Amino acid sequence: MRPKSRAQTVAMYKISRIVRVMQSHALRLCAQRQRTFASTFVVVLSLFASSCSREPQTLHGFVRDEPLNVAAVSLPDVTRESAPSSRFGMRAAPGELLFVYFGYTTCPDLCPTTLATWKSAIRQTSDAGALVDTVFVTVDPARDTPQILNDYVGSFVDRFHVLRTTNPSEMQSALDAFLAAATIETTAAGKVEVSHTTVAYLVDERGEVVIEWPFGTSADAMASDLKILLENTRQQTQKEEQ
Amino acid sequence: MNTNTLKKAVLGVVAVVALGACGSGTNAISVESAWARTSPMSSDAGAIYMTLTSPNDDALVSAAVDMSVAMMTQVHETTMNADGTMGMQEVDEVALPAGTAVALEPGGFHIMLMGLKQPLALGDTVKVVLTFKSGEEVTVEAEVRDEAP
Repeated sequence: MRPKSRAQTVAMYKISRIVRVMQSHALRLCAQRQRTFASTFVVVLSLFASSCSREPQTLHGFVRDEPLNVAAVSLPDVTRESAPSSRFGMRAAPGELLFVYFGYTTCPDLCPTTLATWKSAIRQTSDAGALVDTVFVTVDPARDTPQILNDYVGSFVDRFHVLRTTNPSEMQSALDAFLAAATIETTAAGKVEVSHTTVAYLVDERGEVVIEWPFGTSADAMASDLKILLENTRQQTQKEEQ
Repeated sequence: MNTNTLKKAVLGVVAVVALGACGSGTNAISVESAWARTSPMSSDAGAIYMTLTSPNDDALVSAAVDMSVAMMTQVHETTMNADGTMGMQEVDEVALPAGTAVALEPGGFHIMLMGLKQPLALGDTVKVVLTFKSGEEVTVEAEVRDEAP
């Protein structure tokens, strides 16, 4: 059982403490030779306690032995608050993590599902709102205008950057750096068909991809990973300060 | 035919009709957890998800919402291409093997709404008419939510 929120973590911790106290009472009962009852009691409580205890801190997403470095990627930043014709480089601010996703706004299924999951993961992680930035790169610049991009991503998260290039080779090198891909085809009937890789990335301040979440990763899994990775980031910052 | 016989006959007909109605009730396709994702601002695309179970082999062949909600409604499937990218295509049907729950869910089958007249807002409901290969039609109310129920 994985804690879903801080409140739940606290509740689970309290329950496990109560269970431990009750276990010690049960052991005392053992000493009083009420063995059969007491040992059953202990077994049941131990099962309960183990189901409550915290899982080892393992990451759910995909981590490469040789992490990808995307620091060299820089794309036109069309975020409303950014200066006109500024560019955004793929690095997190110091002590923070950057969420990166390649998508398009007329995508009804995968893109909103991933962004809604990410939004929920941020909500589950205390402090995360202040320590993560979200980057949405459009793979469909022809239809995704800066205004649409700002409105779209802004309906999921408060802090974000929307990136849009109309230069195909610039787009391709950005995709290549992430080992991502996207194609846009217009059918004979005039229908635009977009295909894209649907991995979500977290990038650190050095521009290294620290985790990759394939489509379908749950909000709980993302939140758990985010908590661990933010803690790693915090420890690293502390070490560098010393 | 005296009055009594007539009464009995009428009762008999009523009973048969009632039983027939019961029968079609238990044979109906069940639709559970129908929901639509809140549509982000500026996006005129939406998706509706649900779980379908048919007592007989059947298939979902089309879905429709009122023109006041969206311009066009299609049944789509998100699939992975050979290069690892994902895209979606309109499908002719979603097969419903007898007694098997088939989920229309993120990353798989979904009912795609194109040209939304206004954003799908939290707490709204969208009425969807589902048409099946057998000719059966089922109308469901999909709740607009941020996440799957």
